[in-house]
Amino acid sequence: MSHRHLMTVSERWFRLLLRFYPVDFRDDMGDAVVEAYRDRAREALSSGGLTRLVSVWLHALFDALRNGSGERARPAVSWRRSGNWGRDAELVTRRLLRAPAFAAATLGTLTLGLGMFAVVYTAVHKILIEPMPYRDSGDLYYVWRDYGQILDLKKGALAGTDIAALGEAGGVIEGAVGLQRYLGGVFSLREDTDPMEIAVTVTSPALFDLLGTAPTLGRGFARNEVGPGHPLVIVLTHELWNRLGADPAIVGKDVRLNGRPYTVLAVLPRGFPFVRNEPIGPAQRVDAYVTFEVNLAETNPKDAGYSGLIRARRGTAPEAVAAAVEAVGRAVDERDFSGRGLKLYPVGLKTDLVARARPALLVLAAAGLVLALMLTVNLASVLLARAAQRQHEFAVSRALGANDVAVMRATLLEGGLLGLLGGALGALAAVWGTRALVAVAPLDLPRREAIAIDWGIAGAVVLLGLLLGLLAASVPALWAARTSLSSLLASSAVRGGRGHGRMRREMIVAQVALSLVLLSSGGLVVRSFERLLRADPGFKAQGLFTVRVRTPPEFFPTPSDAIGFQDRIQATLGALPGVTGAGAAHTLPLTATFSAQTTITIPGAPGNTGDAERDALLVDVIAARAGYVEVMGMRLLAGRAFEESRPSGVFEAIVDSNMARRFFPGADPLGARIAYRKDWLTIVGVVEQARLYDVHQNGRPQLYVRAEDWGFRPLFYVVRTERQPHALLPEVQAAVRRIDPRVAVGDPRTMEQIVDDTLRQQKTSAALIVAFALGALLLAAMGLFGVVSGSVTRRRHELAVRLALGADHPRVLRLVLREGALLVGVGVLIAVPGIYAAGQLIRGVLVGVSPSDPVTLLAVTLGLALVTLLTCYVPARRVLTIEPAQLLRQE
Amino acid sequence: MDRARRRTDERPALRPVEFHILLSLAAGERHGYGIIQDIEARGDTAVPDVGTMYRALARMLENGLIEAAARRPAPDAGDERRNYYRITDAGRRAAKTEARRLEMLMRAARIGGLLPKNTK
Repeated sequence: MSHRHLMTVSERWFRLLLRFYPVDFRDDMGDAVVEAYRDRAREALSSGGLTRLVSVWLHALFDALRNGSGERARPAVSWRRSGNWGRDAELVTRRLLRAPAFAAATLGTLTLGLGMFAVVYTAVHKILIEPMPYRDSGDLYYVWRDYGQILDLKKGALAGTDIAALGEAGGVIEGAVGLQRYLGGVFSLREDTDPMEIAVTVTSPALFDLLGTAPTLGRGFARNEVGPGHPLVIVLTHELWNRLGADPAIVGKDVRLNGRPYTVLAVLPRGFPFVRNEPIGPAQRVDAYVTFEVNLAETNPKDAGYSGLIRARRGTAPEAVAAAVEAVGRAVDERDFSGRGLKLYPVGLKTDLVARARPALLVLAAAGLVLALMLTVNLASVLLARAAQRQHEFAVSRALGANDVAVMRATLLEGGLLGLLGGALGALAAVWGTRALVAVAPLDLPRREAIAIDWGIAGAVVLLGLLLGLLAASVPALWAARTSLSSLLASSAVRGGRGHGRMRREMIVAQVALSLVLLSSGGLVVRSFERLLRADPGFKAQGLFTVRVRTPPEFFPTPSDAIGFQDRIQATLGALPGVTGAGAAHTLPLTATFSAQTTITIPGAPGNTGDAERDALLVDVIAARAGYVEVMGMRLLAGRAFEESRPSGVFEAIVDSNMARRFFPGADPLGARIAYRKDWLTIVGVVEQARLYDVHQNGRPQLYVRAEDWGFRPLFYVVRTERQPHALLPEVQAAVRRIDPRVAVGDPRTMEQIVDDTLRQQKTSAALIVAFALGALLLAAMGLFGVVSGSVTRRRHELAVRLALGADHPRVLRLVLREGALLVGVGVLIAVPGIYAAGQLIRGVLVGVSPSDPVTLLAVTLGLALVTLLTCYVPARRVLTIEPAQLLRQE
Repeated sequence: MDRARRRTDERPALRPVEFHILLSLAAGERHGYGIIQDIEARGDTAVPDVGTMYRALARMLENGLIEAAARRPAPDAGDERRNYYRITDAGRRAAKTEARRLEMLMRAARIGGLLPKNTK
């Protein structure tokens, strides 16, 4: 190989090695470095031949590796060492103050976005993450029963004997208590005062020890204050005590519950958050606690009516707790159910409490994160646009010797400052935001009362703002530092730079994609909510008013007393002015509780399989009075509803269409007999379900029995009126008081309120997601507007030339629009996997809409395309004002 | 700019490679490889790498210790053009300050007995 050839190879090698150095060093010194190496290489070749030359090459490689990385690290090093932070901060502040519109718009966007994020974060943190305020709350578990093969019931209540067995199990189970609803709950301070309805829970005496809570006044239940014949004692919550007038000397006094005297033992701490979890429906609020009047170990093992709560030994792994509980379950199964495979299983107290709210909250949290990401990208593109406006200034000051570290620092400071302020303002806005959320949140949302922003959350939001600002600012900072000086000077000499254009367009694409992901999720959630609103729950909610009136055995000892009283109430309510009908049932639609589930059989029904276990059906029993089916507006499919007169010797029943189909496929169920509570019911009618659980889907099969026949005492009375339903309350209260002053009217609600409460969670999350999605769309549109408008300005000269050469205005307009449309199109394409992933995430909260519902997704995409193209069109129209002759003359 | 100047005034010591560069340029304009050859000729055991030297040159250009001279062909290498560098007044001052500082250190070392008393 000739010397010349070797020298050419050497030079290429040295030029390649230059790549290790940062671009500005390469611009300034690159040629000189190559020259020096070339000289060295030439000398090596002439004095020592190829071996010496190769050694120079290798040497140059190590040199470039070492010094290249050193030079690249230099900005970071001099960032630390040098600089006048105070002056930079002052400059940044002054620059922001000089552009108040920019600062206000950016801060406004950040405040709104981070505020919404903070609200969602607060809700998620308080509901899902923060532990319950009990001692070692992670060691508390609810225990439920899985009926396995016997019954289609995966989460059933326990029997008293199960709780006794758990309490005696020992090992990792330190203690177990049973919890049960107290039937009745007509409370008064003295016998002669106004009665009020309160929610009372019956429990084992160890409940407060198990939770690790001590009362603020008085003492908790003693071990022996339980069982038949024990002195009646009651523990009040702080809130009930307040409602009663906050008497500090209340401990030791007697109060009345269902007319019986109870001695007040204690008042619990303020805000004691305990609620009683139930196998079905939301956890139940508690106003007061009393203890069991039975011995749990002596109750009927088949009579499952308790929630069980256990505490595991501190720090026991959940698997070990599950194993211990399952072992107890197997023993109980052997003893009481002759080993038919019923199981007991534990669920963490918190997990059990929030299980219903979890899917929606996770969706909201994900939407919040996408929004935060969107804010970052948006801020980055805004800051980049701002940096690009100043690129001439950058170029000149760098040419004059200002180091690029200063430029980076200024940009980062600007972003950090904006982010910090936005975070602080967002946290502040979230103080009101969380209040608004609590106001609209579903009443049964767990931990609802705890949702408020605290210092920790505010700090986290401010920190997020700062990080977001710095992250956003690092984009223009990197651009400014990486763009080589010569290209900066060159491009700012020719109007408008190019380098930042690509980055900005990439960010627009990202924003379009992110906002489309949010929009598609929002669209699906809205469609699902709309399906819920239009769903027919099986009754007509308009014009229905309901109240609960209890009939405690203490006041009405015999069944006929109670029935007489209930007859009078129903008749009086039905005769109120403006009321067209009254009925009553022991449970209302959409407010299911587990208390009235039972198994029935219909011997001889054509749908039976012959397998005794499979022919027993778990049904929801609804005890109703005459008039209920008509007043609720339920649909009668066959036979008749209950009538005023009760036939003697026959217990009437109405079944729903599910049950009719199951037992009488293609046959007439009327007149058939159902085995129920060791007695026989005769089917007189078939109805469509008035849904107990969800508005959009049928629940378990329903069996309507006559309330009078089976001694159901607390009843919900339903009246249909042409008046404003809620306006009936004073008259209803007066009427009930006239009939019997000892009982109280509880839970006054309209049926529309009940429907609304059921839909509240979906409504709240739909509203939040839509707000997020629209916010994201706005951000994307703003970004696009900026890019297209900048592009028109930059290309004015080129467009003028095109016009002068004969292109007409519409053609040029299309040219500019195409640029925007391309960005939108790429964004939409990139969003597709995101939409799919988001769809999988929200699948659980969607009702009646597939996560890939083509109509919704197409509509949302078209909507986005329309909005974004409109935002392109507005700035693009400016090309129509270009007067080529004039413009070119100016140039 | 003022920060850069302040830094040269405050700079406590020049790095050996910077001192060598200033020493070479004090004798007249040089191109990069020329400076390396000078250092080799002075018999210094640690001849800097090309990259190390150019990074130093870049810093010194920034700090105003040296400046770029006209690009021209080197006398011994045909018509290939080279980047030449020239020392500035500030550079000359910095080199002198550094030499004096080293001299004072040497004297201190002799008085302290670290070096023999009368070595030339």
